Amino acid sequence: MSEHVVVAPLVVALVTAILTLGVRRYPRTQRTISLLGIGAYAVAVITLASRVVPLGVLTGGGGTTETLTYQLSNWPAPFGISLVADALSVFMLVLAVLVVVPALVFSVLYIEEFGQRISYHALFHFMLAGVSGSFLTGDIFNLFVWFEVMLMPSYVLVVFYGRAKHTRAALQYTVLNLLGSAVMLVAIGGIYATMGTLNMADLARRLAHAGEYGINPAPVLGLGAILFAVFALKAGIVPFQFWVPAAYRAAPAPIAAVMAGVTKKVGIYAIIRLLFTVFGAATLESELGFGMAGTSFLGLFGPVLFLMAIGSIFLGGLGAVSRNDLDNVLAYSSIGQVGFIVLALALAATGEGTVRTVGLIAALIYSLNHAIAKSLLFLVSGTVYEAVGSIRFDALGGLSTKRPVIAGSFFLGGIALVGIPPLTGFFGKLLVFDTAGKAIVAGEPFAEVALAVALAGAILTIAYFSRAWNRAFWGTPSEPVTRSYQPTTMVVLVGAFALLVVVLGIGFDPVYRAADAAAHAATEWETYVEAVGPEVIE
Amino acid sequence: MSGTVLRTVPSTIASTSAGGEASGQPQVILAVVLGLLFALGTFLVLRKDVVRVVWGVTIISQAANVYLVTMGGLRGSVPILSHGGAHGAVTDPLVQALVLTAIVIGFGTTAFALVLTYRVYEEHGTIDLSEVNER
Amino acid sequence: MSADPRPTDSDTTIIAQTSTRVVVPIILLVAIALLLQGHNLPGGGFIAGVLTVTGFALIYIIYGLRYVEQGLLHRTVVPRSLPAGDDESQAGPPISKEFGEIFTTGLALAAGSGLVAMAFDLPFLSQGVLFVEGLPLYGHVEFASALAFDLGVYLVVVGGLLTILAVVGAE
Repeated sequence: MSEHVVVAPLVVALVTAILTLGVRRYPRTQRTISLLGIGAYAVAVITLASRVVPLGVLTGGGGTTETLTYQLSNWPAPFGISLVADALSVFMLVLAVLVVVPALVFSVLYIEEFGQRISYHALFHFMLAGVSGSFLTGDIFNLFVWFEVMLMPSYVLVVFYGRAKHTRAALQYTVLNLLGSAVMLVAIGGIYATMGTLNMADLARRLAHAGEYGINPAPVLGLGAILFAVFALKAGIVPFQFWVPAAYRAAPAPIAAVMAGVTKKVGIYAIIRLLFTVFGAATLESELGFGMAGTSFLGLFGPVLFLMAIGSIFLGGLGAVSRNDLDNVLAYSSIGQVGFIVLALALAATGEGTVRTVGLIAALIYSLNHAIAKSLLFLVSGTVYEAVGSIRFDALGGLSTKRPVIAGSFFLGGIALVGIPPLTGFFGKLLVFDTAGKAIVAGEPFAEVALAVALAGAILTIAYFSRAWNRAFWGTPSEPVTRSYQPTTMVVLVGAFALLVVVLGIGFDPVYRAADAAAHAATEWETYVEAVGPEVIE
Repeated sequence: MSGTVLRTVPSTIASTSAGGEASGQPQVILAVVLGLLFALGTFLVLRKDVVRVVWGVTIISQAANVYLVTMGGLRGSVPILSHGGAHGAVTDPLVQALVLTAIVIGFGTTAFALVLTYRVYEEHGTIDLSEVNER
Repeated sequence: MSADPRPTDSDTTIIAQTSTRVVVPIILLVAIALLLQGHNLPGGGFIAGVLTVTGFALIYIIYGLRYVEQGLLHRTVVPRSLPAGDDESQAGPPISKEFGEIFTTGLALAAGSGLVAMAFDLPFLSQGVLFVEGLPLYGHVEFASALAFDLGVYLVVVGGLLTILAVVGAE
């Protein structure tokens, strides 16, 4: 018996990519197939999600979450490649759907016809296949493969416009990620040599019973740190953030939306999966020294996450305050916002019990909020560019009187990031503060600092958002703004997407329950191991 | 894309896993080679010339592949099962399948990186990174 | 770039041209052999594809890009400086369109071979093998479904690499 529903999102994305490549000489058919494909992808993801997290769980009416597994090509785990759909994977997949559907529809309107014909749609769907594969796979080497499937189209999409600044950004982005891939391969090789397996469930089990398997977990900590660094590079966390602004500025607006909204979250997802599921029960045999307390892997990663979070929040926030065009502000802002996610993760890693669960829920909700709000803002920036012809602050001004819908969408996205109730951003921020509060009560080290940093970060968010608002949308309309035209369909699309932000905030209970299920799926590694059921060898 | 891994024959993993334990002569030589490759790659990545940087990255990815093979342990014969032949211990085939996949991926990205280098040259008229970054 | 500095038949020596004529068929034959045995012996779609491209690259280097289109396919080559026709969806010589199609066909074949398994309610990418005995001349033959996947990979590699060669080579 096989659960084809698990592999469905992957297959749909792959088939759509190939079909769009096949019909590229018929632009209209190509666009239709691409849009139908994204619809089918959404249906596939929602079907999978409803199997894993039944509706009853979301409405609080009872029911249990499931973990579905799928053995590609019928090899049993841990020999073959397992695909695992648990509440965490499904949460991330739904997040991806919420971003890619508007982004693709926007692309059809935004990207010039010739550009769409070359390969845009195929690349978009290949990237989506890579994203889905990364969320679903239960094997570390396979994760590497899906990362590459996701990155290769993104290299091409960053250099899509092919002018001087785009080639420069793409070169930087490509070289960095190639180095990241090589380093990831090294870590994978090392883990295989020490652990004798690459299946995540098998790894988790062996690490939990290291003594019985005759494994020394100490090298795995170091190798895990290398993997972690690669994931942090994908997520653009300080000190691996430097590729972010150039790449986001170079990419077309809908691609920047997908990169900030989804591919960044792939890095976050990989960090959560690695630290909380695979390393969930891993402990060292003796303390490390160097002033690192405790022997649990998670506890050792906590302070590192914490420092990276502080760096990201301040660098992103201060960077965003001083930039002079929309895309730049948004790019730096996304570094800062990822900092908030990592801050919640840091608290979850050092904490125990409730603090860990609440920290993970906070991180997941913040991810969802950032994904939607940031991609909305990138799409707004694309619309502004289409309407006005520039996104530089000195050319903008007074958009709110001339183009109220665009301005309103930007405002909604912005206050979702700032965290004004009743939008999701409010709950995201609230949960981060709540985690910090609970951690202080639990007597965790650095918890007060975390609270202070979160506050400072929130103030910086307000600062750069209100500055962007003042410069671009308020005041008297500038010369280019007066000459601007209204790209109606785009504006309608962006407006509808903005409403989604509001709807998710008002109907927040199901979102919270989904995140709660996902957080439990991430930490309960025994369930994960049991579902995959890798055969015991040796 | 992941097809190469899927066709692995897993029957020998149990007997040959944890290849780190027996480090024979080939491992030592490979360790030295690996060190040299990584050093050369790093040196090239730090040059100003875009082509050299791409070469450096390529060398580093190849070094990672060699590392992966080394990590599987190098004992026993070639892990090829032909019809009806008797077999003793074979080297762990899994790492070799992984490396094949990694080579295919590396091949694609290297091709892209070289095309990109050409585009950079076309757009900027130079392949000197410090000049590329000035404009 | 309408006036190509090099003549259509490039200025390589007769020795190089003759040995290319001898070597290329051998390369292609070895490639096909590698492709066919790839499902359970060293070989496979990727390496066969790379080898095939080596053969084509040799022809390109020794005989020049235009030889393939004019001499082998009897096409008139449009100079690149002319505006590309409406049918032309990418830069590069017209032949890169065919290469693109090879690439797409290969992808479809590889993915399709995985999808077939799902029709039999087996997981995606499951493979099977069929042994046929008593064929004239060959006797024992195995048909592995992995061959379809390999063929797909082969076409992807050939199509992709030749596109790159043709586009970059034409600049």
